Amino acid sequence: MVPNRAVASRASFPSRLLTTWLVAGFLLSLVVMASLLYGAGPVSPGDAFAALLGNGPDNAHFVVSELRGPRTMIGLVTGLALGLAGALLQSMTRNPLAEPGLLGVSAGSGFAVALAILFGASNATLTTFVAQLGALAGCALVIAATRVQGLGNDPVRLILAGATLSGLLLALTSMLMLMDQRAADEIRFWITGSIAGKPLTLLSSTLPAIAVGLLIIAMVARPLAAMALGEKAAVGLGHHPGRIRFLITLSVALLVGSATALAGPLIFVGLVVPFIARAFAGPDIRKTLWLCLPIGPAVVLGADVLSRLIAAPSELPLGVVTALIGAPVLLAIVRAGRMPSL
Amino acid sequence: MLLALTDKRTGLANGFLLLALVAASLSSMSLGTISVAPLDVLGSLLGKADPMTDFVVKELRGSRILAGLLSGAALAVAGCLMQTLARNRLATPGIIGIDNAATAFAVASVVGIGLSLAPSAMALAGAAAATSLAFGLAGANGTRGYRFIVAGIGIGAIAGAATQVMLSRVAIDAANAAYPWTVGSLNARSGHSVVILSIGLVLAAILLAIINRGLNTLQFSDAVAIALGTRLRAIRILGLGLSVLLTGLAVSVCGPVGLVALLAPELARTLCRPGKVPLLASGLAGATFMVLADLLGRTLFSPLEIPVGIITAIVGSPYLLWILLKPSNRSLT
Amino acid sequence: MNLTETATLAADNITLAHRKFTVAKNLSVTLPPGKVTAIVGPNGCGKSTLLNGLARIHAPDTGTVLLDGKDIHVLPSKEVARKLALLPQDNTAPEGLTVADLVRFGRQPHQGWMKQWSRKDQQAFDHAVTAADVIELQDRALDTLSGGQRQRAWIAMAVAQETPLLLLDEPTSALDLGHQIEVFELIRQLAAQGKTVAMVVHDLASACRYADHMVAMKAGKVIMEGPPGEIVSPELVHTLYGVHCDLLEDPATGSPLLVNMRRERSDHARCQ
Repeated sequence: MVPNRAVASRASFPSRLLTTWLVAGFLLSLVVMASLLYGAGPVSPGDAFAALLGNGPDNAHFVVSELRGPRTMIGLVTGLALGLAGALLQSMTRNPLAEPGLLGVSAGSGFAVALAILFGASNATLTTFVAQLGALAGCALVIAATRVQGLGNDPVRLILAGATLSGLLLALTSMLMLMDQRAADEIRFWITGSIAGKPLTLLSSTLPAIAVGLLIIAMVARPLAAMALGEKAAVGLGHHPGRIRFLITLSVALLVGSATALAGPLIFVGLVVPFIARAFAGPDIRKTLWLCLPIGPAVVLGADVLSRLIAAPSELPLGVVTALIGAPVLLAIVRAGRMPSL
Repeated sequence: MLLALTDKRTGLANGFLLLALVAASLSSMSLGTISVAPLDVLGSLLGKADPMTDFVVKELRGSRILAGLLSGAALAVAGCLMQTLARNRLATPGIIGIDNAATAFAVASVVGIGLSLAPSAMALAGAAAATSLAFGLAGANGTRGYRFIVAGIGIGAIAGAATQVMLSRVAIDAANAAYPWTVGSLNARSGHSVVILSIGLVLAAILLAIINRGLNTLQFSDAVAIALGTRLRAIRILGLGLSVLLTGLAVSVCGPVGLVALLAPELARTLCRPGKVPLLASGLAGATFMVLADLLGRTLFSPLEIPVGIITAIVGSPYLLWILLKPSNRSLT
Repeated sequence: MNLTETATLAADNITLAHRKFTVAKNLSVTLPPGKVTAIVGPNGCGKSTLLNGLARIHAPDTGTVLLDGKDIHVLPSKEVARKLALLPQDNTAPEGLTVADLVRFGRQPHQGWMKQWSRKDQQAFDHAVTAADVIELQDRALDTLSGGQRQRAWIAMAVAQETPLLLLDEPTSALDLGHQIEVFELIRQLAAQGKTVAMVVHDLASACRYADHMVAMKAGKVIMEGPPGEIVSPELVHTLYGVHCDLLEDPATGSPLLVNMRRERSDHARCQ
């Protein structure tokens, strides 16, 4: 159910949204600082701060610029991509639970990477491309599934199907890993949800795809908002639902594929971020997308900082932390009376 | 006369499943890295074989097959029970997170976190905790409706994450010892857990025979069940308790091989006559599934062994997807 | 077959609530033995809730439902099921279940976990399928039947319970006219055999035609009770449904007939 004002409202930036956006941006900058200053290792926040200002001990300098800096950048981009992808997928499937991770898109991407590695691929660009292909296949499956009669308006059945698909792909991935011990270690590096120790070159190989994804979002945001009124209404407003669906699918695949190439499959980020954004932005997908820009990176980086601190001096996998944060949000959505619809 | 007619198809189905189970078990005893001729297997079982064959058939394979058979039967009966109680084919312990929680608790026991209880007891505690949590979150709807399932998915995710946390926090040896549980394997069983599981199964069989008739009425709406004199609350609590018990004990033996709980009752329902809850057939089918999946895992890429949980996931998931994606499906929720 | 056994069912000052919302407050109703009682009233007046309360499906917050003078919620459920059968509104059955399977379920209250299908069970079964006229349908799956046939099968199950009391919740909803009459006549037959019947009926006209006793409810209260011929009046119809009508007497049966139903007191008067 979407009130008319969702579409009737002007696309300009209302002041309330601006305030929220600024607050979120401020929180994000705090999280970025925390990500640079805190770690599981022996470098103290004070030394790290000094290193940021250009002095401080050598080891602090190394840790901040060579380890935490890239890690923070990768976290920012991953969060951005996953948050937007989640919001898009939920809006298009009209299902608040449609999250790329839960629906098996991330697992598809991870499985594709595992296959590629098993067949000898090892450079970052190729891996990114393969991850995107896998995500595209996963997305196409999800879209096909939502087009099945009756499944589109049955959120639970859809995410159960997604969970099953994820389980299947994970089992296949584990089997591939059993086949080849050498490949297994590399596969594990790619498919464990983590942004630690990933090279910055990876970032440059994913940026073009993310840029294209963002461009598509800029193009289809308005027709997508119109589609919230139903496909017939969107056609009435002069849009082409089929074309929009195709573009969104492409965009989600590019974003999720890039994020998976960067950080491995992270489930629940695409659920939590749009959930928070919607709480402030209301039903208009355009406002939600705007808010996802700062919230997505903040959530991923925040989770990453937690993953360093909870179990210090060792680290937890980031995917574990996002699951621990995300699952309660899933439960909260379900607990909130009747299943909310989009 | 009428009754005999009613039960003919179900009797046939049970006979067929029993035969399949025996055949699967015998092949599993004869096939593997060392092949034993089927006649020698029979000879060994009858106590007329050389010590080497005896060792392979009884020690190596027999105990493993027994563990698979018992845990498969327990998972399947637990699944059938929960489906009946929830009136939803999808509501199996695996899907609502009970397997994962039991695994997390069992892993905690193996890696030495928390109480120093045996894996069986811990798995049971985990299963019970997840079930009560799912109920608490589902609110007054109980096992009915989607909330129960989504709550279970969330609980399963948390438990899975918790398992990973524990494995990443302990020494590599302890983690390796606990790993099989996380994927589902018959390699990690302890004889002790198998004994406890068989006791649980016997207990469950007796109780289920007693409440069987009441369970059958649960296929209708609550009102019909009450009108037929079923003590709904008592049956629900007992049934759910047994489902949790069987799942927990099975997980302590084989880990989360969840899809057996969905596939076996499905097959049993197809074979048996509608109108009765096919508990026996489900158990037989589950045992057969488990033995076959383990056999496949051992022999498919021999000498490489694929854990039984991975096999059931690869075989079972497409079927579950098919159920979920079939256009019209009136028996779902 | 005439039932020698009888049983009385009464609600004594019961209050029924869904969650915190009170649907019916301080109701007292006694079912006249051997008669067909119709519970009527507008949507949401609590008539189904009252029936479910009488059938112990819905436990009252205060007050008691008395079966033969004893609190129905204290009696063992099986014992109650031997005296009281219910045909609920939501009667879904497992896929592929046959009519015979369904009717056999009606014998459950008479079976123990050691007591299997007996000769007496078989007699009750035969009687039920005959009474509800589903003999030819016995081996058909419920989901292949028409609405009227399916409803007869469910009634057969309730009959197989061999209870002196039979409660039905909107037994003819979603049935076409022919099937409605089929079901109502079956209910009259059962009453003629000595059963005490209570049913929630949506349609006031059918209630007038087929009930001996009528309980008229509005907003959770019983506003009038008695034989339809005595209590149904244009005033009652207006109180219940907010419409005006005239009453005639059915020349064939003597039961009241509602005619000229309209929202305004008189179209003619308004025109002037």
